[in-house]
Amino acid sequence: MTMQSFNRRSLLAGASALGGASLMPRGAFAKGSLVATTYPGSWEEAYRAIVVPALKKKEDIDLELAPLFAMDQIGKAKASRGAPPFDVFILDPGPRIVGIEGGIFEKFDGKKLSNAAKLPAGFIDDSGICVGAQVVGIAYNPKKLPAPKGWKDLLVEPYVSRLGLTGFQTTFGTASLIELSKQFGGSLTNVDPAFVELKKVLPKIAAVGLPAAMPGLFQQGQCDVMYTNTQTVATLKGKGIDIEFVKPESGAVAFYTTMHIAKGTTETANAYKYLDLVVSKEMQEAMTKSPYNFIPVNKDVVLPPDLPMKSLDEMSKYVVQDWAQINPLRAAWIEKFNKEMAK
Amino acid sequence: MSITLAAAPETGGGSLRRLLRAEEWQLALPLGLAFVALFVAPLLLLVGTSLFDDDKITQPGFGSWAKFFGDPFNYKVVADTLLLGVKTVCTTVLIGYPLALVYLDLPTRLQKVLIFIIVLPLLLSVVVRTFAWIVVLGREGMINQLLQSLGVISEPLRLLQTELGLVISLTQIEMPLMLLPLISVMSRLDPNLRDASAALGASRWRTLFTVIVPLSMPGLVAGCLLVFASSTTAFISQTVIGGVRLIYLPLLIWQQSLVVYNWPLAAVASLSLVVSVLSVIAALSWLGRRSSGHLHG
Amino acid sequence: MARRRSLGDISYGLVIGGLAALAVLIIVTPVIVVLMTSFTEGRSLRFPPTGFSFRWYEQLFDATQSRQIHKAAGNSLEVACFSTLFGVVLATLASLGLARNRRKMARIADNFFMSPLVLPGITFGLAALVYFSTLGFRPSLDLMIAGHLVVTMPFILRTTTASLSQLDPALLDSSHSLGASWFYTLRRVTLPLIAPGIAAGAFLAFMASIDNVPVSLFLSNARTDTLPIRMWGMMESTLDVRVAAVSGVLITAAFLLMLIMEWTVGLTRRMRD
Repeated sequence: MTMQSFNRRSLLAGASALGGASLMPRGAFAKGSLVATTYPGSWEEAYRAIVVPALKKKEDIDLELAPLFAMDQIGKAKASRGAPPFDVFILDPGPRIVGIEGGIFEKFDGKKLSNAAKLPAGFIDDSGICVGAQVVGIAYNPKKLPAPKGWKDLLVEPYVSRLGLTGFQTTFGTASLIELSKQFGGSLTNVDPAFVELKKVLPKIAAVGLPAAMPGLFQQGQCDVMYTNTQTVATLKGKGIDIEFVKPESGAVAFYTTMHIAKGTTETANAYKYLDLVVSKEMQEAMTKSPYNFIPVNKDVVLPPDLPMKSLDEMSKYVVQDWAQINPLRAAWIEKFNKEMAK
Repeated sequence: MSITLAAAPETGGGSLRRLLRAEEWQLALPLGLAFVALFVAPLLLLVGTSLFDDDKITQPGFGSWAKFFGDPFNYKVVADTLLLGVKTVCTTVLIGYPLALVYLDLPTRLQKVLIFIIVLPLLLSVVVRTFAWIVVLGREGMINQLLQSLGVISEPLRLLQTELGLVISLTQIEMPLMLLPLISVMSRLDPNLRDASAALGASRWRTLFTVIVPLSMPGLVAGCLLVFASSTTAFISQTVIGGVRLIYLPLLIWQQSLVVYNWPLAAVASLSLVVSVLSVIAALSWLGRRSSGHLHG
Repeated sequence: MARRRSLGDISYGLVIGGLAALAVLIIVTPVIVVLMTSFTEGRSLRFPPTGFSFRWYEQLFDATQSRQIHKAAGNSLEVACFSTLFGVVLATLASLGLARNRRKMARIADNFFMSPLVLPGITFGLAALVYFSTLGFRPSLDLMIAGHLVVTMPFILRTTTASLSQLDPALLDSSHSLGASWFYTLRRVTLPLIAPGIAAGAFLAFMASIDNVPVSLFLSNARTDTLPIRMWGMMESTLDVRVAAVSGVLITAAFLLMLIMEWTVGLTRRMRD
């Protein structure tokens, strides 16, 4: 093979790739376009199946979804200063506060939404709008283990040797470890008891991994019990995996999911249209159905029977954590988790 | 003989030769410029970022450096990261080098097949690969099932989320990076050399260590460099297959940059990784040049 | 040569053969696992697969259901092709300029060009994003090509330099002393001899770009995401079997490409020479 022929080949490949790429829909914008983040997994699936086609039909807006965990969204947005990589964020309480402090959200005006009155009071503020809630508890494999009762069970047999553990990098991980700590005398701002107890059983624990790795580890039987949110359980169940959700005796943790418009976006009008549609009765209703099982925020929605939480009024029955107190401590907790769990 | 020839243009050559040398050097300019714009500048920004004390990047100072190196835990992480690279290089050489030797002995047709097999790991996305290794190394995985059905073990071995498992999986992933340069150097070796060595009564082992290994050194060094560098920064494999109880620098960098947003500290951690890995690379590369200097001698 | 096989030679065959067999086993197993899984009838990535079907491939090729994957694949191909193309040109030139230069500066430059390999991709991705956005660029495929160029070019430089160091200097010197111009020597002697090295490097660079996660993660947005980013998302919480099917397609495509290269330009023959 000569140098020339190799280069020609590359050029050829490059040219055909370009040709192929130009045939793809990229760049072919409709009346409007919008880039919104979504969580990987059931959020992405639900929004892709329900909201994307509806927004196209109703407003002729092409919605592009970027699946990213809340933390990653903030990281990317902060890195890109002033030129936001996406127009709308979807966030958990912790990252939401980081975002507000970092000044990366456009000031939100609820009056621009036709559905604003359909939401409970306090669901819209200057920073954004609440579009749902997530519930965090324990998931286990019913074919291999009896149902655990509470957080404490995770640290005794038969659960501890089948436990999959993740750290403080996600909201559900942080929330769960705080709850675990509370069972041993800890509090919202004191997770040391959890570390002490975990350390005692550390050699027995089946897996300690990144949140993203947990579904795979669970499915292949590396671990059979873990903490996670209801949406993940619903998704995995929908895929035929043996998994059940348990509310711990001390209560499952619930937190709101909010959306925010990125500061510096050029698509503000489309962003409001998108958010208005997301909280509309039709969209909220469609997303409460199986396999998505989202908890609706629109008061007009008629609830199906199999939801973990019937309405957001029930939030009071759940453990709600104050992320303004948690956020400043989390960096140190992450470091401590590294050190305490390290081999 | 060639060493003198190669050195000739610099010492005894005429002015034309010297001019040619100058021209040759300038061939690196386009890449140099591209690197200044796309690599040096972002990195300088990174160094600049590391010289701030707080995560808001407002207080200049050496606080982040002091914090990182004031913590003995981080020394262990740096050492573990480099050790992981060394272990992966060792296993890759241990089983990769014999495969390259076998390659040399195969008929042409089978050599082609083997090349295809060697590049296979490159074709399997890093994302999917992690799933495959869960299947192979897991508690209910292939290795454990095989050993249990053979009656070798009664309880499943813990392979996933151990350094052993991680090194095994990295060995697979990095194998092409070792073998491709190795084979392209080895297959240029004169086959008569081995025959001559054998005819002189040398055993195959002796031929291997006195003839083949020294002559294949440039390829071996190139392979080791690639494997070492790649395995020390293989974030996804390290965290998914190794689990987060095994802590290497890329995990710290990821946490500091994307989870707690402490970019100054993330910058310090990555600069430490760069410096420590570069020192090993420089040593390897120096060894490689020394041995390739002997090559034509 | 009829030589009696000594104990040493037998042990050589056993040890070397055994280790090589182990190498092949380790290389091949994960690939087989993924390929088998991609033909499952089940709804999630699971091994051993249940049943046999092409349903995930059908879904993967379905334009409406897998539009995002198709788009990401197009992006990945474009980025990989162009970053490799620029990489080949720049790295080959630089390698010719530096590989035979024994001055200290040349060694430093060589190490400098190789350094992206040892810089954590995550850090470079973050540094590049901060840098590009400071300059006022928004994420685009062009930036991604630039980013990938930096991290994949060293593969080409390394293999090309290794080939050059194998080149007998006597060849070049005799070409020079026979009056051949520098450029003529380059075209007729040097390049043909190092082409396998360049090709091997280009192949590595191309695959590294196709498979790059850390740099793409930072430099992409929803409109420009690449195949591995898409797959990472699909894998993370839904264990979508299509990621195995994508691998099946990638392996087949790359395999065919290599076969075509073999038939037309003799890739493996050139590697042996």
